[in-house]
Amino acid sequence: MLNILVTFVVFVSLIMTGPAFAIDGTQLLKQVDRNLNPESYEMYRKLINVEPNGAKKEYTLFSVKKGADKIAALFLAPASEKGRSTLRLGDNMWLYIPNVGKPIRITSLQSVVGGVFNNADILNLDYSAEYNVEKLDESGKEYLLFLKAKTREVAYDRLKMWVDKTKRLPTKIECLTEANMLIKTLYFKDHKDFGGGITRPSVIETDSPLYKGYKSIMIFAKIKQKNFRDEVFTLNFMSNIDSLR
Amino acid sequence: MMTVLSGKSKTWILMVAALFSAAVFLPQALHAEESYTFDLSETEKKPYHFGGYIEAKPVNFWTDHDAALYKLKFYNRDEGKTLQEYNFKLQLEGSYEKDITRFYFKTNTDYKNSYLGNDEESTFYEAYLTLKPSPSVKVDAGKRTFKWGKGYAWNPAAFIDRPKDPDDPEVGLEGFIGLSADYVKSFEGPLKTFAATPVLIPVTKEINKDFGKRDYLNLAGKLYFLLYDTDIDMMFLTGGSKTTRYGADFSRNITTNWEIHGELAYILAYQRTFIDQSGMIHTDEYNAVSYLLGTRYLTARDTTFIFEYYHNGTGFTENEVTDYFKFINNGYETYLNTGNDTALQRATTLTENNYGRVNPMRDYLYLRIIQKEPFDILYFSPAVTTILNLNDRSFNISPEIVYTRITNLELRLKAGFIVGAADTEYGEKAYDYRLEFRAGYYF
Repeated sequence: MLNILVTFVVFVSLIMTGPAFAIDGTQLLKQVDRNLNPESYEMYRKLINVEPNGAKKEYTLFSVKKGADKIAALFLAPASEKGRSTLRLGDNMWLYIPNVGKPIRITSLQSVVGGVFNNADILNLDYSAEYNVEKLDESGKEYLLFLKAKTREVAYDRLKMWVDKTKRLPTKIECLTEANMLIKTLYFKDHKDFGGGITRPSVIETDSPLYKGYKSIMIFAKIKQKNFRDEVFTLNFMSNIDSLR
Repeated sequence: MMTVLSGKSKTWILMVAALFSAAVFLPQALHAEESYTFDLSETEKKPYHFGGYIEAKPVNFWTDHDAALYKLKFYNRDEGKTLQEYNFKLQLEGSYEKDITRFYFKTNTDYKNSYLGNDEESTFYEAYLTLKPSPSVKVDAGKRTFKWGKGYAWNPAAFIDRPKDPDDPEVGLEGFIGLSADYVKSFEGPLKTFAATPVLIPVTKEINKDFGKRDYLNLAGKLYFLLYDTDIDMMFLTGGSKTTRYGADFSRNITTNWEIHGELAYILAYQRTFIDQSGMIHTDEYNAVSYLLGTRYLTARDTTFIFEYYHNGTGFTENEVTDYFKFINNGYETYLNTGNDTALQRATTLTENNYGRVNPMRDYLYLRIIQKEPFDILYFSPAVTTILNLNDRSFNISPEIVYTRITNLELRLKAGFIVGAADTEYGEKAYDYRLEFRAGYYF
């Protein structure tokens, strides 16, 4: 009788504890998001577009983000772009050009900087805010997440994300259309300690079969957790983002 | 129609072609392979900023000697088949920021060398002081632009701005002197943002002279809502310098690559002056309604379409414009027969700020197609723009290429072709074609 009881207890325990050992894709994706950035932060980035002949064009941006769906970025350089700012509230995006003087709506597939990065890459929200995990595979030292956009407003319908098992950070992301056509690949490189408990890749490189021979690079600096008032993420504030620095 | 190029025009075109080719091909040699570095000194913030923009823009016009506006402008001179204009622009801007205070200025100097000789004009486009006690509240005092409205080519509801040129809508404009405030509040739920912007604009014989009637203190205001992912503005202007007017606009993204927008203006007691072909001046007064509907669409091949329909309730009818051109033609005949240019002088006066304003008639279509980086050539964007006058079926069409490969340098080569029968808006313009080259450098 005792044996039966022990067997039953062990069996029930195995059933109960089983799910704790399995990897939950959604949880993993949320963990990846938090390891990449705090939920609210400020940071500096440099975008570099590289042509096949090695010629480059560089942009420096200051970005602020709050919560799951608010992000704004201000161009600090070059002089031709200085003062331009972009704002994203969920699926809404605007571009403010000082000369034009008013924010105009832009779409996520356009690019305010040219090159391989589009607006959705530059004003990227948490992956878990835009994507559901459809499938999770394991291969060697990495997990492979198959992500599907939650709505049609998301720039890429599908993502394939390779995640380092130990660091829980992406190493590569393929951006795909609904028909599984590859639009671009993002490579996450050069892990760096930014302080405040943030250790993440400091470089994202991207190439695209649509731009053969071209690549774009995003270098991160000074990522800091910081809270902002909601009013910072409004059209009226777009000309004043510099005051947050 | 075959056009014979003058020696001057040929030299001009060769010069532009050489400059453009040099700019396109030189940079590849200028940029050697470098490593990817991010110098953190680039992120340091200074309390002051100083920068600017310098531009050279030569333009060549192929004139139309039969056009009414050519006769009006050149009735007593012969400038040949082509006209050259050399335009130079210098804009300086700077700011100084301390605590909640920021001062900003932007100057503009235009220098033009043309058949009329040399002309230079310098002014402050903007110069204002901002107080920003919190992210929700801002007060601006001084000269600034407001840029109300959502239209790309036209903004009928931009009551406190100078009208923009639909042929070049992104060019900076001069502001007006005033006192304005901004209050903004964010919410959770369908209404994400609310903002209120009251503005005071005085008009005296010293300031804001070209805003409207003098010795009035005008009050304008705008309410903004981001409601159900749609930008909505409601605005008004009252006070005496202009008749009271109300406006509204909206803009929203339908999909990731498709935006729509609209704008409406209701102008009370709008007064219009027009001339009949015998030279009698008439005025009428009515409540004018102007509106605009537009869209911006990006295809999978990175082609952007901007399309707008504009109804200008303050514009002239086809008959009124025909009468105006007939009056000019009659005046020109009189001048040729008698040497008396009184009628042409009168027509010149009436043209300024009246028939001479940009798109003076009632209904227009605007279409701009921009192809981003075709053939994988980064920073190279060809575009074509057309403005069609729906009332008289005349139009202009302007192909252009923009190249921005060199950091801070923007090169644009743009042509303009005008098509229209006699007595139509575009058919009676003083030129048939134009070619311009613009080299702008930011520093």
